[in-house]
Amino acid sequence: MAAPVRGMAVSSSIGNTTSFQKKTRSKLVFIPGTRPSVQNGQLLVSSGVSSLDYVIGGGLAVGTLLLVEEDRYDSYSRMLLKYFLAEGIVCGHELFLASARDHPDQIMQELPSPILDDVASMKMSEGQSQPNDPDNPDTMKIAWRYQNQPRVQTALASSSRFGHYYDASKTMDPELLQAAKYHSFYQLQETPVTTGLSSLPSPYLALLKSIQTLIQKEGFDGSTPQLRGRNVLRVGLHSLGSVLWGDDVCCKDNSAHCHALSTFLYALRGLLRTSLSVAMMTVPSHLIQSRAVMGRIIRLSDTAIALESFRGSEKETNPLYKDYHGLLYVRQIPRLNCLTSEVPDTKDLAFKLKRKQFTIERLHLPPDLSETVSRVSKADLAAGCASTATGNKHLHF
Amino acid sequence: MLLEVLQAAEAGGFILIQDSVQCCGRGILRCCINAALKRDEDVHVLGFESPETEVCAGLDSSFAQKLHFHKGFPDPLGWRGKSSFTVQQFTSQHITQLIRDSQPAKASVLVVDSLSLVLRHHDPVIVCQSLQELRKGGVVKTIIGLLHSDLHLQGIVGIVCHLASTVISVAPTNNERHAVATTTRRTKSGKVMQEEEYFSVSEDATLSVQSKPRQHDRVEKEQDSAEVDPASNLTFNLRLSEEERRAKEKVALPFVFSQEKKSALLRPTPGSGRIMYEPDANDDFDEEDPDDDLDV
Repeated sequence: MAAPVRGMAVSSSIGNTTSFQKKTRSKLVFIPGTRPSVQNGQLLVSSGVSSLDYVIGGGLAVGTLLLVEEDRYDSYSRMLLKYFLAEGIVCGHELFLASARDHPDQIMQELPSPILDDVASMKMSEGQSQPNDPDNPDTMKIAWRYQNQPRVQTALASSSRFGHYYDASKTMDPELLQAAKYHSFYQLQETPVTTGLSSLPSPYLALLKSIQTLIQKEGFDGSTPQLRGRNVLRVGLHSLGSVLWGDDVCCKDNSAHCHALSTFLYALRGLLRTSLSVAMMTVPSHLIQSRAVMGRIIRLSDTAIALESFRGSEKETNPLYKDYHGLLYVRQIPRLNCLTSEVPDTKDLAFKLKRKQFTIERLHLPPDLSETVSRVSKADLAAGCASTATGNKHLHF
Repeated sequence: MLLEVLQAAEAGGFILIQDSVQCCGRGILRCCINAALKRDEDVHVLGFESPETEVCAGLDSSFAQKLHFHKGFPDPLGWRGKSSFTVQQFTSQHITQLIRDSQPAKASVLVVDSLSLVLRHHDPVIVCQSLQELRKGGVVKTIIGLLHSDLHLQGIVGIVCHLASTVISVAPTNNERHAVATTTRRTKSGKVMQEEEYFSVSEDATLSVQSKPRQHDRVEKEQDSAEVDPASNLTFNLRLSEEERRAKEKVALPFVFSQEKKSALLRPTPGSGRIMYEPDANDDFDEEDPDDDLDV
């Protein structure tokens, strides 16, 4: 675990009669793109989506694994993975991307473009505000003192800004991609590793060896010193558990490899806990036949969220969900350095992918102002209570 | 959308035709073969379930040199030695070698009739990996497969549909001449399009498609009926005319500051309130002894 390093200098002045002693500022390990948590002091990195950082307790702790259960067509979960990798590039972290369906280089080409001048544009917009304009419809006439107050936001976001925003309609600049340090693992191009002792399928074993070799060679576990200072490794694993990884957990109920993914996750978390790295993986959970296997995978992850897209289902035509693209379920929130995790204030969350933001909002129903619904229910209740008076539907108790 | 799927098959795509015992999907498969031949592409058909005369019936004879039929029917497992291609040879190496033997000018279209027979005799994981290798290999441009969805477990159908870029599910209707095709198309940018259409296949492998009215129309009609104007049929007036609105704006409100005083008092601060306090004459700001009455 990346524990903060504290240095305390004791200073005492001659003639000071008080027993209190002022200490100097503690020296934390500063890595760009990270910050300590206010709950448990854990070193956090951003997941790339500010709303997701708020939902899971401020960010992703270094050394943990984030599990994203894929939506049905892998649209939004793939987008979350791209946000995670793009945040690593903007913060200067090192990347590792493993994929079996598409080539990792193809996924890297599709990363969204960061909006880096957002703070400057906000300041310019504040400076250019014109309260003297009477033709402006935003000018308040009676409550004019509240004119420059910010609007109330329904999107979940913390007060202090952590992470970046991205424009999903543009791709990242090739110069930024060239400057990033990036390692890839493509399952089709890897030679199968044959070891008789291991019970893992060969793609999982090769992937584990690749991650372990990278962590040891680049010095993320502290064994060999890092050349350019301390840095964080971001590991992205796409569609783990699908048939392209050689796993049959998606097509059979009692499969021969039902323990392979659990064994892989157990070993992967051991690697993450002993190094300055953070991992995000997506799993096609809607294809996994056994609920016990999915339960094991969730328990072996630190943070688990699930996405349910409205595309292609009957919820797309539901008027209650017409403002959103899908539902987000928080399966598990990590318990790090404490006995219990932070309980979110609401579990009904919905997500919406806009052009410049992936927002997660509280799902609320519109108020039921219908007069006829209550009357029908009252009539039904009256008919239900008074079973002897069958014909009379206008009882008033 | 069904005609667009047939006309413009994308590179690296995998079109899966799902059918059942009530409705046969081989007609759409023949339309796919005919459309590929008209696009002047090499088509390799692995025929495990049907003879060549049945699959190629109605196709244009001018494209006969572009069509390569690999006979697997009626001996799909090669027991009697009458087949040029068997189910056991369904691997990416064998199929790649088979296509390269015909010296194609460009990438070919692979038609599998049907995938159900392959899935019965191979591990589904190995079949999916072979299909993925064929898609990414470069020799095969498009794979078109026929899958009898009622012959397999739901999980196996799920993983094959998850692997495909386009899934066409056929189902019967009350009309004998038509059937319903549900087309789910997933583009590379992650967008998913789904549409239901009526289709029929003629003798010369021509597809005719009618669009099915969507279920969205009911929701739209309900929304249109719900937007009744509540301000109509009232005995009083809820709106202002132009003259009344201008006369209302001319009236000066009481206790309203002027524009200069308003702009002087307004400061463009970023949203945090401040407390400004002016001390009175009775306030005591003695930092040495805050309380006069104590003798500490």
